[in-house]
Amino acid sequence: MKINISRQSIYLLTLSLVLLIFVLLFAFLVLIPEGKNYREKRVIVKKERSELRKYQLYNNETEESLQELQSKNRHIITAFDTDFNPSRFKKQYSKYFSDLSLTEGVNLSDEKSFVVYEVNTTSKIDSPKSFYDFLDALNKSDWIISVNFPINFTRENSLIKASFNMKVYSNPSESNSSTPVVEEAL
Amino acid sequence: MQYSYTTPRRKSPITPELQLLFIFFGITIFMLLATYAFLLFKDYQFTQNTLEIEQERYDLNISLHEMDDAIVFIQKQSQLSESVYTKNTVLKDSIANMFDLVPSEITLSEASLLENGLVLKGITPNKDVYNFMLQAPLRSIFHRSYSSFYPLSNGWLRFVSTNYIDKEELDTVEEEVDEDEN
Repeated sequence: MKINISRQSIYLLTLSLVLLIFVLLFAFLVLIPEGKNYREKRVIVKKERSELRKYQLYNNETEESLQELQSKNRHIITAFDTDFNPSRFKKQYSKYFSDLSLTEGVNLSDEKSFVVYEVNTTSKIDSPKSFYDFLDALNKSDWIISVNFPINFTRENSLIKASFNMKVYSNPSESNSSTPVVEEAL
Repeated sequence: MQYSYTTPRRKSPITPELQLLFIFFGITIFMLLATYAFLLFKDYQFTQNTLEIEQERYDLNISLHEMDDAIVFIQKQSQLSESVYTKNTVLKDSIANMFDLVPSEITLSEASLLENGLVLKGITPNKDVYNFMLQAPLRSIFHRSYSSFYPLSNGWLRFVSTNYIDKEELDTVEEEVDEDEN
């Protein structure tokens, strides 16, 4: 039995086979691995995005707590940033004293990573009440100031001479770029 | 001279079957290539996204680190200021207590508040007033009290009272105060 296939049909069949093989090879060797890679990457990116979102949320929460802390402690933060100014100090607190003078202080070694400046103070008060009021007012001052021992009270006629040391705390130089201008002001 | 009534069919190498084949495979290959291009584009996009996410995480990490540092620093500032304010208030109370301690019969001329002690100088009408009204409360507060008297021309006595709290006791009290604050 002789199968009679025309030459044109053979060409057509061969071409069809070649193209089919190309399609299959392309699909299995290139497209399917690339598709697999795409799916894997999509999952990874999705996971990374969700992690980033969590991170952003945490970042926002931290930012909120920082802002809350800043607004709560605004006075303290400003006080630590403010350079001690003796003339302004005298102007603000002279109402508690009959006479107030500050003598040149020294920069003490850093205390709890803050810069500490010591000022010797001599003053005259008409009653201890003025000194109590001064100590109360000091806690609301523009600087962070502590009054330290020794404190001397000496009677001078109708007045009391009070001499004491004050420690002014401020931020270290990295966070407080301007250095205290106390010596110049004195 | 014409031998046939039918017009000759124009022969072409691209037969209708071949055209059909080309159209079919053309569409198939186009779709495959389009899918491949889409996948390549997506791959590029994912790589870019990953890089962006990494950069964002890095930026967030820096910002978080800075914020954490700022929070710690503010807390430190707050703690220090609180301790300063407490110290000033305690000092005010100590001075007030000291002045309240002195009876009206005794006149102070000088008072020195030290880290661990108190030195009082003044005049008293007699030793009994001093001993009962000033020395007794001072003894209850301080561990060591020393007094010396100098007679004055008007019959009164000038006194110097030196009182100390032992350092070990002072440290214990400070530790207790710190624990209470914490």
